[in-house]
Amino acid sequence: MNRTAEIVIIGGGISGLATAYNLAAMGMKDVVVLEKSYLMSGSTGRCGAGVRQQWGTEMNCLLAKASCEIFENLNEILDYEGDIEFKQGGYLLMAVTEKEVEQFKKNVALQNSLGIKSVLLSPEEALEIVPDLNIEGILACAFHHKDGHANPFHTMIAYAEAAKRLGVKIYTYTEVTGIMVEGGRIRGVKTNRGDIFTGRVLIAAGAWSREVGAMAGVDIPVRPERHQILVTEPVNHRLGPMIMSFAGNIYCQQEPGGEFIMGYGPAEHETYSITSSWDFLEVMCRKAVRFLPYLRNIRIVRQWSGLYEISPDAQPILGRVEQVEGLYVATGFSGHGFMFGPITGVLMAQCILGLPTTIPIDKLDLARFERGELIFEPSVV
Amino acid sequence: MKHAEIAVIGGGPAGLMAALAAAEMGAKVTLVDRNSRLGGQLVKQTHKFFGSEKEYASIRGIDIGRILATEVHKNPNIETMLNSTVVAYYPDDGVLGIEVEEKKWVKMKAERIVVATGASEKYLLFENNDLPGIYGAGAVQTLMNEHGVVPGKNVLMVGAGNIGLIVSYQLMQAGVNVKAIIDAAPSIGGYWVHASKVARLGVPILTSYTVKAAYPNEMTGALERAVIWRVDDRWQPVPGTEKVFNVDVMCIAVGLSPLAELLWQAGCKMMYVPELGGHVPVRNDNMETTVSGIYVAGDVAGVEEASSAMMEGRLAGLSAAKSLGYDDGTYEEKKAEALKELENLRSGPVGGKIRKGLAQLAS
Amino acid sequence: MRIEEHPILTFDRGREVEFTFNGRKMKGYEGEPIAAALHANGVRVLSYSKKLHRPRGFYCAIGNCSSCLMTVNGEPNVRVCTEKLREGMVIETQQGRGDLK
Repeated sequence: MNRTAEIVIIGGGISGLATAYNLAAMGMKDVVVLEKSYLMSGSTGRCGAGVRQQWGTEMNCLLAKASCEIFENLNEILDYEGDIEFKQGGYLLMAVTEKEVEQFKKNVALQNSLGIKSVLLSPEEALEIVPDLNIEGILACAFHHKDGHANPFHTMIAYAEAAKRLGVKIYTYTEVTGIMVEGGRIRGVKTNRGDIFTGRVLIAAGAWSREVGAMAGVDIPVRPERHQILVTEPVNHRLGPMIMSFAGNIYCQQEPGGEFIMGYGPAEHETYSITSSWDFLEVMCRKAVRFLPYLRNIRIVRQWSGLYEISPDAQPILGRVEQVEGLYVATGFSGHGFMFGPITGVLMAQCILGLPTTIPIDKLDLARFERGELIFEPSVV
Repeated sequence: MKHAEIAVIGGGPAGLMAALAAAEMGAKVTLVDRNSRLGGQLVKQTHKFFGSEKEYASIRGIDIGRILATEVHKNPNIETMLNSTVVAYYPDDGVLGIEVEEKKWVKMKAERIVVATGASEKYLLFENNDLPGIYGAGAVQTLMNEHGVVPGKNVLMVGAGNIGLIVSYQLMQAGVNVKAIIDAAPSIGGYWVHASKVARLGVPILTSYTVKAAYPNEMTGALERAVIWRVDDRWQPVPGTEKVFNVDVMCIAVGLSPLAELLWQAGCKMMYVPELGGHVPVRNDNMETTVSGIYVAGDVAGVEEASSAMMEGRLAGLSAAKSLGYDDGTYEEKKAEALKELENLRSGPVGGKIRKGLAQLAS
Repeated sequence: MRIEEHPILTFDRGREVEFTFNGRKMKGYEGEPIAAALHANGVRVLSYSKKLHRPRGFYCAIGNCSSCLMTVNGEPNVRVCTEKLREGMVIETQQGRGDLK
């Protein structure tokens, strides 16, 4: 294992690997990624893998739009032999309360002003996109045809392989046990396989970021939250877009392989446990059948869960950490780390190399919580 | 929500014995099985069993299954749920999710659980290994001995362990031609009793041979021809040693691996032990796993024989009942007896592999 | 082919019923697995793999391996190695992944 590095990235998920790849592509040598288990073992490999641009804050819209454009070309960018299976079937967001309808109107106006061509639809118009949708109780819909879904495993492998070709060293089953800080500067990291001396550390440890931050004496205010998900047997194609309702609390879509994948966001205790529960299964089934009655005849083949790392304002925490020189953070995605992954990689690499970032990320820094400048995202499941 | 004192999952030899043993101690048992009848894989075992009378020696497996199933159905302490698949264990609240006849979803909370889910057949890697006509040995047994349909006319048996040898003999009993039995190992893995039976009937047993490829009939798409080749002492195939068999069935008898999904879901500590078929649960001598209240028995605890599965089942059933306070003073004696039986079954050279595997699990 | 005489076993078969396989009329016994009835009628190719469309038969015959999925009475992905045969069943080779009923 390396004894020194230009940078040590903690976390072998999408954020860490995309940043590693971009750093190497921009010319940094000796980039090291440490993962305490196998690649994607945290949240990336457990996520629903939706990619949407319909957001309620300008920052998220900009991040998502840029990320989506990278997804569209990722096979080529990363020279990937496989296919990340990026499918743009759109996202159909369903408003079931008057308050939501108002929010949708605001969101669509904001999105349109930023070049995201989302549209407001009546329930009847939504039926043209999802013919079997039960529109009872749906007041309005928002739709954007360029939202979609990618295969998280292929996406991660594509990043990991491209990074390795550029000389990035990825060490799995290597757990960080400490971060060495001297005189307010990063000096290195301690791992279960020895120490690595470095002047820079990026914390991209998802739900475990708070623990890792504490090793450097920094409080990263993210908390883990269990989210459950299930997948059905594959059947011939029937559902084009991802359907989603915030108030109805559901997302559901059919993957290119024919399986329906779905979840909802229950209020879960703060926990690192990723077990599954039977009440999720029951509630999920009722929710899914309420919107897509034909799903009453489908078999469920698997149920699992993963962790969101929830930040106080449900927005990512990106950039330099002021208190410790050489410390950077990319976490707090609050359930959207995968879809923001490609742009996170670009922005964090630019930030670490001291370059101007394509999208300004100053407002997303860790210090915003101390400053009390929180940015609330209204559109989260 | 349904409640059970002891839920036994799987109505094969291990599960049947577990249910009977727990009921014998006085516990109330719910026995759950996905099939429409009890007996598990015993229902296709037409050969007579070895061992002592505790494991019904010299009775055919199929009859043992019937005897045990009858006892279970007669026992007032045992409730049986058939056509019921336990698809999940939810550790948050210790609930079992059971799918009944693929239609109804039943939740059950049990104070103790005995997992006796058995094993599934392993595959073998070779060109065109997915052709119709290439079947697991157990599948052929099921088709032939349970449903009375022969798999085809000419068979190549892959695997000279007990299953391969026994199924070969059963194929011949059903009037099917067994062209050869092959095994990649340099010697026959099964009992000599079984091997000599098929050898006497003129079936060649080719050791140090493995499958190179299978080829389909152009019209039907199903298996028509199999090519085998020799492997050297480092398990590498030797070009030029190919032999061709015109067969419409290839039977794969290369072992089983435990069906341990529920144990993984429950968070039981698992260990990879090749001698026991793959990942198996760590457990104590009461057959209790590292998750308190969850017991295991039979192939899911390590692939072995039906006889030892029955004894493990008895042990698990006795212990689960005892842990709930059911003991009329006979527990220690009965446990010691079952442990002794298991030791006997695993003694001698044929038990060597199992003993080695169990030793790893204990270490 | 069915076993009519066996040195050890006797087969307690259900009543004879008719069913169709891809529109062809066939006979089997009520309550036996669909796969057994098809096999007895000489049908060994039950499905095709989804990507490469390779022919598939059953492998495990006890509901573990999913190699034998067919459309039965319009319902896709039915494991015919365990699903029991009934009078008048309409059994079809699945096209693609099968359409939800």
